[in-house]
Amino acid sequence: MLKFIRMVALPSLFVLAACGTDPAPGPVEQIIVREPGAAPVETAVASAPTDSNPASSLVAEGKAAFANCSACHSLEQDAPHGAGPNLFGIIDKAAGEASGFAYSDALKASGVIWAEAELDSFIADPAAKIPGTTMVAGAIAEPAKRQAVIAYIASVTAN
Amino acid sequence: MGKWSRRAFIGAGVVAGGALVVGVAVRPGNPTEKLKPFVANGDGEQLINSWVKIAPDNVVTAIVPHAEMGQGAHSVLAQMLADELDADWDKVEILEAPGLPSYAGADMVREFLAPTLEVPKILEPTAQGGFLTLADMISIGVTGGSFSIRGAGQRSIRTAGAAARQMLIAAAAEKWDVPAEEITTENSMLSHKTSGQSATYGEFAAAAAEQSLPAKPPRKAVGDFKLMGKPIPRKDIPAKVDGTASFGIDVEIEGMKYAAVKAPPVVGASVEQINAETAQSMPGVLQILNMGNFVAVIADGYWQAQQALNTVEATYSEAEGGDIDHDAIFARYAAALDDAGKDGGDIETETGDAVNAIAEAAQIIKAEYKVPFLAHATMEPMNCTARVMDGQCDLWLGSQNPLGVRREVAEALGIDEDSVNLENQYLGGGFGRRSNTDVPIMAARLAKAAGYPIKMIWSREEDTTQDFYRPSATSRFEAGLDAEGNLVAWDNIHVHLFDPSEAPKINHYAIPNKLIRKIDVPMHLRFGPWRSVDHSQQAWFIESFVDEVAAETGKDPLALRRLLLADTPRHLAVLDKVAEMANWGSPLPEGHGRGIAFVPGFNSVVAQVAEVDMTGKKPRVTKVFCCTDVGFAMNPDGVIAQIESGIVYGLTAALYGEITVKDGAVQQSNFHDYEMLRINEMPEVSVALINGDHDRIGGAGEPGLPPIAPAVTNAIFAATGKRVRELPVAKYDFAGSET
Amino acid sequence: MIKLNVNGQAREVDADPATPILWVVRENLKMPGTKYGCGIAQCGACTVHLDGKPIRSCSTPVSAAEGKAITTIEGIASEDGTLHKIQQAWIEAQVPQCGYCQSGQIMAATALLEKNPQPTDAQIDAAMAGNVCRCGMYGRIRDAIKSAADIKQPSKVEA
Repeated sequence: MLKFIRMVALPSLFVLAACGTDPAPGPVEQIIVREPGAAPVETAVASAPTDSNPASSLVAEGKAAFANCSACHSLEQDAPHGAGPNLFGIIDKAAGEASGFAYSDALKASGVIWAEAELDSFIADPAAKIPGTTMVAGAIAEPAKRQAVIAYIASVTAN
Repeated sequence: MGKWSRRAFIGAGVVAGGALVVGVAVRPGNPTEKLKPFVANGDGEQLINSWVKIAPDNVVTAIVPHAEMGQGAHSVLAQMLADELDADWDKVEILEAPGLPSYAGADMVREFLAPTLEVPKILEPTAQGGFLTLADMISIGVTGGSFSIRGAGQRSIRTAGAAARQMLIAAAAEKWDVPAEEITTENSMLSHKTSGQSATYGEFAAAAAEQSLPAKPPRKAVGDFKLMGKPIPRKDIPAKVDGTASFGIDVEIEGMKYAAVKAPPVVGASVEQINAETAQSMPGVLQILNMGNFVAVIADGYWQAQQALNTVEATYSEAEGGDIDHDAIFARYAAALDDAGKDGGDIETETGDAVNAIAEAAQIIKAEYKVPFLAHATMEPMNCTARVMDGQCDLWLGSQNPLGVRREVAEALGIDEDSVNLENQYLGGGFGRRSNTDVPIMAARLAKAAGYPIKMIWSREEDTTQDFYRPSATSRFEAGLDAEGNLVAWDNIHVHLFDPSEAPKINHYAIPNKLIRKIDVPMHLRFGPWRSVDHSQQAWFIESFVDEVAAETGKDPLALRRLLLADTPRHLAVLDKVAEMANWGSPLPEGHGRGIAFVPGFNSVVAQVAEVDMTGKKPRVTKVFCCTDVGFAMNPDGVIAQIESGIVYGLTAALYGEITVKDGAVQQSNFHDYEMLRINEMPEVSVALINGDHDRIGGAGEPGLPPIAPAVTNAIFAATGKRVRELPVAKYDFAGSET
Repeated sequence: MIKLNVNGQAREVDADPATPILWVVRENLKMPGTKYGCGIAQCGACTVHLDGKPIRSCSTPVSAAEGKAITTIEGIASEDGTLHKIQQAWIEAQVPQCGYCQSGQIMAATALLEKNPQPTDAQIDAAMAGNVCRCGMYGRIRDAIKSAADIKQPSKVEA
């Protein structure tokens, strides 16, 4: 992988940034992955040391994919709900039970326990699984990607 | 909107620092010569003067010096020019003036300077240091302060149109050898009746450009207006219904890549460490940068950049304000107000002896009000496209402040101001946010570091958390009443004063003793002008308190205001008109209420009545009546649209708007937690216009906003007996107890 | 390569199937009339039609559009350039101010009239409440929809 890191000294004037002008002209750190037009790096994940473990590779893939979900859902313990509920520890919990989130009546009444398979079918098509859910966005069509996202959700635990 | 040719921009250095256009656009020695290379494209077009050009095909181009952000300035300024020029409206095109000092908003600066020698805060960052010279201030082309029509339009553009017409007539008189007075003009045609000769403006454009500029061409009287004062459809609207209108975010530059950015949650902190391992292996990613005060990912597409950025972990330095939260901020305000006591703070207005009058008053009424921080939430998130190559910086964005952007970007890059060009685009909402220069500075630095052109787009989350906010504030009032219940003394102290200084002063109400003071309380969040600026909170404070005085003294809220405005007939006419529209005093159903507010500002006068229905789960504003006197409405439908818009913007804030802070960081992020008024909550709005002063017209974009919040909360009081003393209204539970 | 049908034309794009339709339309297909507003299906600025139904293109992956017809603001006028009756009504009522949300508003309104040629106020509310207009032109939007549906002319200016 083409990688080039440039370090630049941080000007001490930087504390003035809050006043609206920005006296730090250049980057403090610049990681150039590739040049425009150059061929995309082939699954660079595979070259990273942690990727010898397929499980953690799946989690890494899921983490990247979760970026889309994070517009609405937090996955951090005790973080506030967004447009959707915080999903920390959601696996095997009953649907509609996180406190402080205004679930749809449909979801609360669904009786679903969020086993991984249930999550999988819900994320594939939320409205089909639980008609009346307010989750109107973020469905994931590709099974492999759903698996990755669920693996990532399951991997985030208290520590 | 017309486009600047690339060729014209290459010549940028030649005219920088050219003569200023002050007062009127046209005068002997005007900057026409210097501006020619920028606005004439070489296809036989003639630049008649700084604000108009006429092509051989008889197309008249109005060169307007203000940005178009929905307020209709482009079209209405062209309408004013075309009327004075007797141009064929169907053949009028619009071009936004380049960001050059020659086109700067001198009128705006002069207006702000006139009474108090005060500089609007939005201009300060673009002036150097604390010592502001007139020359510094004039080289600032800001679109704001509800100023386009009454400033550039009234003072410069109309004169330019009239001058161009005279020059065309003079050229025709010379060629036809007839007296100039016998030549008539209509629909971009010159005619001489007795000789039967006629010609298009285009035919005489070249000859007209050779004529000397009339120093003071006569302008039309109101009775002669053909386009001014008429609800002419705006020229920018067709492109805004077929998807072709180009906003900053739509700009496409060859070789451009996309950047997503994230700044530290606490403004002023710097980025210490980043961990970009995941991002580096994500599709489309080109670069990951720690720019010191923000992190950026550059990728082949914006979505790829944003996805990758979401995986970058960063640590931030400790920053001032990093430990503060919502309650602490208001505690700080309260402590500062307590400290100021009876004689602290800066005096804004002092008439008579309010302290003594209150001490001797038969009745004293006190109240305290609080408003939160507000974000602008323009529909188009912040963005800027930048190319930095060979010491030259080109910028594409929608800006309310192109000259300020040029200056500050030049400073940030360490290059000459003349080496920075800006092509202004349509603004997907401005409301004051796009007068700041933070966004183009970031984009320019990124483009320089990347080595290729960058389109930087902020996510909605970034837009919400990194705004220049309307300040939160607390305001305390004491009123003194004499034995007959007359309001004789007014004592007010509030935190923060931004702009304009007229906002808290209530010069319009006849109260014999007034003491109005402010105190500054330092805050790490960045403040910026927010539609109607300080009027947005001051009008709510003042009109709520006037209503409390009315209630405490058993007066009708309309009657008390009529009493206080008894000596100002123009104000009274507006107030009476709105009362008539709303059928003030007529019975309403149980649980409904009616509230009134009166707020002059930006040289316009506005009164509103709101009706609320409190019988449901939450307050519902059902009707809003508004009467506005802008002096003279150049485009009545445009003024009405602006007033309607101000009402919705203000109502959204009154009902829902609240930015809160925890550990120094803004907590809201997107429309799910920073709520907008939607069509199902839209009240029926009726607007009436009064043309009360043809010679001194006022603004329309901002003055419609301030009265709505107090009109609504006064209506809530009328319906429920509960006084709202803290915004937004959503904080209150009217079914149960106050929260 | 993903095969799409956009405004009646067959198109192929080289994009991650998870990419929201919004960015494919704007960046890959160079049709910038569809706007980014919030990214989480809260504001409606990105509304396009998928098989005639209004969807939030910011939150719908392009993979969901395979085999279906996408219609954007660029595709609702007739082939001879005659504007859609909603677009005409928008001009007549002078609806747009800044104009940024209007592509989405117009796509929501055209879908509404397609399904329901004579909508009631409540039906207009239900169909349009997902579209935010920060310039607050809701009154004019309502008038213009009614005008296009021949329900009532938008109120004229009284000066």
